[in-house]
Amino acid sequence: MNSSKLRTAPLHLSRALHSSVPTSSRVPRACIVSKWLSSRNFTAAPPLAQESIPLRKHLKDEAKRKKAEAKNNGVVKEGKGDPRLDNWELTVGVEIHAELNTACKLFSNAPTEGSDGVANSRVAPFDAALPGTQPQFQVATLLPALRAAIALDCEVQRKSGWDRKHYFHWDQPNGYQITQYYEPFAKNGTVSLLASDGVPATDLNGADSINIGIKQIQMEQDTAKTTHHPPSTYHVDLNRAGHPLIEVITLPHIHSPQTAAAVVRKIQSVLRGVDACVTGMELGGLRADVNVSVRERGTEGTGSSYSGVSGLGQRTEIKNLSSFKAVEDAIIAERDRQIAVLEAGGVIEGETRGWTLGAKETTRLRGKEGEVDYRYMPDADLPPLVIGSDLVDHVRSTMPELPDETVGRVQKQYGLTVKDAKTIVDLDEGDRLEFMEETAELVTHGLGDQSLDQLKIGKLVGNWILHELGGLLSSNEISWNNMPITPTELADILINLQNKQITGRVAKQLLNGLLEISTSPRPSVDRLIDDGNLRLRPLSEEGYEALATQIMDESPDMVAAVREKGQKGKVMWFVGQMVRRGEEGTVEPEKARQVLERLLGS
Amino acid sequence: MLSARVCRRNAGRRLVGYANYSVAVERRSNTLNAIVNLPNTTSGTSAKEELNGQATSPGALAGKSIALKDNIVTKDSPTTAASKVLSGYESPFDATVVKLLRQHGASISSKTNLDEFGMGSHSQSSNTGPVFSPFSRNGTPLSPGGSSGGSAVAVATGQCWAALGTDTGGSVRLPAAYTGVVGFKPSYGLLSRWGVIQYANSLDTVGVLAQSVKDARQVFRSLNVFDAQDPTSLPASVRQRLGPRRREPGRKRLRIGVPVEYNIDELSSTVRAAYVRTLDALQVAGHTLHPISLPSTRRALSAYYVLAPAEASSNLAKYDGIRYGYRTAGPDASPKRNSPLYAQTRGEGFGDEVKRRILLGAYTLSSEAIDNYFIQAQKVRRLVQQDFDRVFAQSNPLLDASLSTRSGDGGVDIIITPTAPTLPPTVDEVKRQSPVESYMNDVFTVPASLAGLPAVSLPAPLSEQERSSMEESDVTSVGMQFIGQFGDDETVLEAAELVEQLQP
Repeated sequence: MNSSKLRTAPLHLSRALHSSVPTSSRVPRACIVSKWLSSRNFTAAPPLAQESIPLRKHLKDEAKRKKAEAKNNGVVKEGKGDPRLDNWELTVGVEIHAELNTACKLFSNAPTEGSDGVANSRVAPFDAALPGTQPQFQVATLLPALRAAIALDCEVQRKSGWDRKHYFHWDQPNGYQITQYYEPFAKNGTVSLLASDGVPATDLNGADSINIGIKQIQMEQDTAKTTHHPPSTYHVDLNRAGHPLIEVITLPHIHSPQTAAAVVRKIQSVLRGVDACVTGMELGGLRADVNVSVRERGTEGTGSSYSGVSGLGQRTEIKNLSSFKAVEDAIIAERDRQIAVLEAGGVIEGETRGWTLGAKETTRLRGKEGEVDYRYMPDADLPPLVIGSDLVDHVRSTMPELPDETVGRVQKQYGLTVKDAKTIVDLDEGDRLEFMEETAELVTHGLGDQSLDQLKIGKLVGNWILHELGGLLSSNEISWNNMPITPTELADILINLQNKQITGRVAKQLLNGLLEISTSPRPSVDRLIDDGNLRLRPLSEEGYEALATQIMDESPDMVAAVREKGQKGKVMWFVGQMVRRGEEGTVEPEKARQVLERLLGS
Repeated sequence: MLSARVCRRNAGRRLVGYANYSVAVERRSNTLNAIVNLPNTTSGTSAKEELNGQATSPGALAGKSIALKDNIVTKDSPTTAASKVLSGYESPFDATVVKLLRQHGASISSKTNLDEFGMGSHSQSSNTGPVFSPFSRNGTPLSPGGSSGGSAVAVATGQCWAALGTDTGGSVRLPAAYTGVVGFKPSYGLLSRWGVIQYANSLDTVGVLAQSVKDARQVFRSLNVFDAQDPTSLPASVRQRLGPRRREPGRKRLRIGVPVEYNIDELSSTVRAAYVRTLDALQVAGHTLHPISLPSTRRALSAYYVLAPAEASSNLAKYDGIRYGYRTAGPDASPKRNSPLYAQTRGEGFGDEVKRRILLGAYTLSSEAIDNYFIQAQKVRRLVQQDFDRVFAQSNPLLDASLSTRSGDGGVDIIITPTAPTLPPTVDEVKRQSPVESYMNDVFTVPASLAGLPAVSLPAPLSEQERSSMEESDVTSVGMQFIGQFGDDETVLEAAELVEQLQP
């Protein structure tokens, strides 16, 4: 009985907020356990530098790989390629583990910050499972978890519980992991995916988007980090032990390997977008398990039912996939294996399988009889987790914009295409978007009364940031973080351009020039224009005609091409010549085209 | 009337004095094996304390020497829970109850022996050898009771003024009854368990062993505070609700419940006679007796021996020899892949009874058995609690008033039962018992544990006639148990003190 009734007082808002730890510079506490461990000559070598790839780089590499693959194999490496898929339907459910962005561990006040800490320096007595220690739920860890639940459209449960999942491993100091097995804190959510998220058209079935059900989200403890020092030494670093994780479990609603990878990617970007999970999440922060089954189209499979979805084939589970590519490739391999077994008259066993990067096949880890019995048991030390609706409402009202919402807003407010909006939102962890919004506001302000409408300004600024500036950065191999141009400078250039004070060509030159000026303070854009004598000094009508005539006389062939063969495109060649030949900042292409068209009689 | 011999013994104890126990006592402690170790720095600390003027600090326990069951962690001496698996373990922190004792001026005199991890009823399964009662029969030592047998013997033989034990299913009350001292188990959640090595954490409580109810109360009150480090410690808001709840104004007489289910066949005639004498004395003093029914009592013992091992199998999973404690010589990785690194370490580190309970618990939690055992036992536990709620005059403060299952008025203030069905067996008899037979000892103490209720065992002296038919070395008292409603710890102590004063 131990007083469950009385400990169901809701976690009130004030308390939850009160205990949220400020995120600014935290000083790691002196840790008695680590001192104690070292006093006992318990040492662990600093963890081997693990290769960690930033998410952005990973995404980029993925895109590159995809492109190359498409080039090599035509577009259809997958899907239509295998005629067997006409007979067999794949069904996949995904479980994703992600580290919550919190200042302290789930059940102790040891700090979580930084993975670079000295091994075993962020360890409270409970994290080392010292005799007589008990867990203390850290209320602040609930905030990022709630953001995740709300972002994935889950119902936050008023009451949830903590259970022990038992298994012996040296990365698990207590001999069990505390998780939410019987009563998770969030249930019944959805994640929505568009074609641009990487869902193949065959899965969309003509719709704009598909929804994948989220069965539940639970909070749980991470394990310690083990490093192997061959041949037979292992070092255990407890810094990560007890770090809060969330596990997101989708319903078996996924029917292609690409969509499965897209779901993982999407959930990860949502979690990152609402600051639920560690920012700049590295690949190490993501672990996915997938369950895979196939059934003959039009049948009920083996009649199996998972999470309330019935009529499926016997499923297998593939554990510990740590990249998007691994998710996709492991599912392809397992799907093909299952189809082959079934077509040969075999039976799929319910088992756990493994997959390693680059492998062609999944490998059997253990069958049903070898399955670990986790002996789930409610943790008697921990009171139920009761979340008041006031806290949920507060978190909901202070949620950052979700990535999809931001893309929608950018499209609407600045008139960008979906593709451009998505690109600008995804780039540089939102920094690019911030730059754009600031620039657009300055341009609007600078143009004053003769302002264009917002959509046009947005489009102009968006284009310049993505394409002109983006192009300059990549051709000069400058990263966004080292980009010296300020929104004010870009806005000044664009205002001058818009007011016909400079030509587009000059605007680009100015942008390029700013990248190279390192003096501080830098001259203002107007100063640069004046010093370079770049301001537009429009030619007179006569001036245009004289220049045009001169060029036409020099190139009778081209004139003939336009006049006699009707090759209107060649007019633009003349425009180019005029811009090049005219004095800097004197020829406007549009005006030149008008004059040329008149003279060429086209 | 207390027999002359007891008086003499008590007097002798007082002469010995607790603060500076003599070589003789220490020699005796070795004989009975009640003490496992002494603080490393006793002298150093006390000198320092004197310098700081703390020796004369006016704390409620100033100058009192208190022994600790060795499953309560201390910084200045090893804590092993009588297990090889924790041999040499030194905690980097003091348990909260230890800090509080020190704050109130007490000095920690020693760590006391126990059944390994508190699992046992006779204190015979310790890595450092069994504890012996100061009493014997036919030249064979009697069982001191368990699992806090070392603490009980230390108090009974005057090696300390009082001692802390832990009580999971009777581990303070039973040894108190077998050694003739007072043993108090407070309501679950009142005394902090931070630093108390877990056996079955939904049942574990810190308890007090002392010479008198007054002394036990004094220790209890010093420790009875909220501790944020223990997530099951009752917070201030709940403690307020537990506050003194007066019986109807002017009614000084206690309504005493006598559960019919406790009149079992196994109850020995000596125990039954002492029980009757205790009830008689109360009735003569004007209190009223009321037969009550606690129908789930029989099943309570079975439920306890499902739940406690289940929790134990989980709580003891941490002992792997990797971070602290015993480790087998050489690598013990099994040649079979994927088997735990420390199977051999655990195999060698735990004693038989602990292994038995871990296996039992692992089984009852397994997916094939959990519904028939663990879940059923939790249901029985709820029934046991409801049994008690039905008979007490006070409603359970942990429940909403609307959920109260009590039928009308006329409830009782306190329930009195024997602490154990028999006098202590000899250690030889214990050896011949099967594990299940020895679990029988806990039949009267387990229900209060399952319901988290406060309960105290008070020695009730044997009659002159009974004494004369027994050896002089045999026990001189029988334990009587007083059980109160949750949070009504003061009434439990008050009733016990009343009876203590009525005793001859």
